[in-house]
Formats: sequence, structure tokens, C-alpha cells
Amino acid sequence: MSDTSKKTLQSQLSELDELLAWFEQDDFDVEAALGKYEDGMKLIGEISDRLKHVENKVEVLKKRFDQDV
Amino acid sequence: MEKTVLSVSQALALVNQTLEYAFPVLVIEGEVSSFKTNQNKYVFFDVKDDGASLGCFMTIWQLRMPVEDGMKVRVVAQPKLTQWGKFSLTVREILPVGEGSLKRSFEMLKAKLDKEGLFDPARKRALPQLPHKIGLIASVESAGYVDFLTILSARWGGMEIDVAHVQVQGSSAPSQIIRAIEYFNGMSAPPEILVIVRGGGSLEDLAVFNDEPLTRAVAASRVPTLVGIGHEIDTSLVDLVADRRAATPSNAAQILVPDRREILSELGQKSERLTDRLSERVEFARQELDEFPRRAIERLSSQTELLKRSLQQQKRLLEQLSPKAVMQRGYALIRSETGDLVRGSKMTKVKKGDQLQIETDQAILKVGVNDVRHK
Repeated sequence: MSDTSKKTLQSQLSELDELLAWFEQDDFDVEAALGKYEDGMKLIGEISDRLKHVENKVEVLKKRFDQDV
Repeated sequence: MEKTVLSVSQALALVNQTLEYAFPVLVIEGEVSSFKTNQNKYVFFDVKDDGASLGCFMTIWQLRMPVEDGMKVRVVAQPKLTQWGKFSLTVREILPVGEGSLKRSFEMLKAKLDKEGLFDPARKRALPQLPHKIGLIASVESAGYVDFLTILSARWGGMEIDVAHVQVQGSSAPSQIIRAIEYFNGMSAPPEILVIVRGGGSLEDLAVFNDEPLTRAVAASRVPTLVGIGHEIDTSLVDLVADRRAATPSNAAQILVPDRREILSELGQKSERLTDRLSERVEFARQELDEFPRRAIERLSSQTELLKRSLQQQKRLLEQLSPKAVMQRGYALIRSETGDLVRGSKMTKVKKGDQLQIETDQAILKVGVNDVRHK
């Protein structure tokens, strides 16, 4: 798996949806499935971490807006 | 007491000085009449009530909402005598007052801006899907500010929010908000979206968001705008020109970002789905393996059947060809006295008087040859 920080959240979510679509096939190879399952679970873990542990940074600007510059 | 002798100009100046001292500012409500503009720069009108009337003067840029004859307005003005001794109010601020006048002024400005195409849906830009940098314009003391940030942070993280603290009520509010908009637009790395929020307020307070220069500033913002200024009944002009309008500050947060709790819940479902699908597939494969002995046996037994039948056929053939079967049909075997079969070329050696054996299916005959005739 490539470095999480380089991939955007969007691309991770797309990748996960592609995996799910693969598993919705009627007939898929069991060997391949085992590998993809592991990839899928890992991806889900990474996305969860990413969503749960990131906070917002709020900064009130020091600049005043009550008078013309 | 001796009174100082003044020139006319001095007298005027003195009176104006006194006026300035005594009444630096007057706040007056009255009805507009004789409204006119001059060279599109200067504005003259009277404010009056039943008993009196006063002349007013201002520049057109101070007119933040349209005003016309018959409207009730509130002016903040400085009284003075003009050069020619005319008493005049120099207007600093003017706004329509009362529901009727506010509505009328709003309709006038709305029609004007609509004609200019500022409400055109085609002008509206899409909001960024997952913004990283947000510019927030609000009063940090207001409930709207707190609501917006609370809901935003519950829903999503990883964003940088720069806050421009401004007044959102009162006559100084529009200019402050305009400065904030221009500041964000002028940054070397501007935010991806500007959010303007305010908790609810009175109809008069709404005038801030029907202010013409502010409305134009929002329309002109290169950074897309999302406004959540929290009034249930009416839509303000800022609402109409913003790229997106939210009903309240909380609603603005909902529009701006997805809810990570929803996504986490979906992830849980997706994880279950993957596991289910894999289990199903493995189970199916396992069943196929279990079937293997049975199927193999089925195949073997059908092959055995085929072999059996083939053998039976061959047996029948063999039986038909066996000497016994032939003899049953009436043929006989001819042997010499020694028991050797006499056939083929040996038949030519048979002569009269030889002793032969004839074997039929029923008996063995000992015979003598009386006569031989070769065919």
C-alpha cells in the first residue's frame, strides 16, 4: 500500500468502492479475493483513522476591520 | 455687556461651532420628500413630519439602500448652516425604517440588481467538496459563530479556518464585512470559500444584508461565498447574490462538509459486506470440494456401466462365433483317428477307407470314408 498522506481521502474512498464492486461479481477467484480482502480491510482502517483523529485549526485574525486601512 | 462685532462669515462660523458642540449628531426620523440627485454625486431631500420639515444633504455613496419620496427614514446627521444661511442637515447615515419602507426600499434595490444580472443562476459557482482552507466572517461574540464552528468540527476535521471578526449588526456592519471580504480576496493564498454567518435578528438588523455596497461586494468576490444569516421569513439581497445560501449558521456547516460519522458508519457496513462476500465465496468453494468424491464416483460408475455393456456385447459376439454355437446350427467338426482336425488342405489327403471322427453338438460318430469327391 502506498503512503496514506499522499493519497487524498477522495481517492481512498474511490479505491474502496472499486474493491467493493469487484466483490459484487458473481464469480471471483478465491485466491485473488483473499488478497483483495486484506487490502480492503487495511484501506478501511486507514480511512477510519484519518477521519477520526484529525481536528480543525481555527485562528481569529488579528487584523481589525472596523476602520479603513 | 458689550457684544463682539462679527462679520457675516464669522457669525455663521460661530453658530455652526455652537451647533457642532451642542448637537454633534442628531438622529431624526421622518418622511422623505423632494428627493433629488445632482450630477449623480449629490443627494438633496427633506425630512418632514406633520408639523415641520428640514433639508438634508449627502453624497450618493452614503446611500446604502434606495430611498424615495414617501418613505419613512432614520437619518443620522450633523446640523449646520450653509453658506447662505440655510439650515441643513449633513447626513452621515440614512436607512429606511418600518416594515413598509424597508420592504419598498428592498424591492427597489432588488429590481435594480436583478436587471444588472447579479441574481443570475449561471453566476453561481459550486462550492469546493472538501475545503481545506475556509475564510469565516462573523462576530466572534455571536451564537451564530459558535453554532457554525461546533457543527463544523463535529462533522469534519483537517481544515484551516481563518476568522475575520466583524460587527454583523448596526450601521458599521456593512463596511466591516466589505473590508473582510476584500481582505480575504486579496490574500496571496486565499481560502477556497468564504462563509458569512450571523444568528437571527430583527427586520431592521436585516438591513445590513440588504446594503447595496455589501451586496455588490459579495457578488464581486472571486472566492465563492456561502451565507447563513439566520432569518426564517425573508431572503436578503446578500442571500440572493451569494453562491449558496444556508438557512442558518448550523445549516451552513451541514452544506459545507460531509458528516464523518455517516462515512464511518458506511465504512462499517462496507467492512461487513466484504467479509460476507468473501465468506460466501469460500463456503461455495468448500462445497464444491465436498462434492468432488461424489461426482468422481458418479463418473466412474457411469464409465463402468459403459465397460460392462461393451464386455457383454463382446461376450455375445464371442458366443456366436464359438464352435459350440456353430455346431448347434448344424455344422460338424471332422477329426482324424488321432483326433486332429481335418480341414483346409488336409482334406485333400482323405481317401477311401480312412477312418474319421465326426463331432456334432450331440454326439461323436466314428465313420469310414466310402467315396471322396473333390470340389
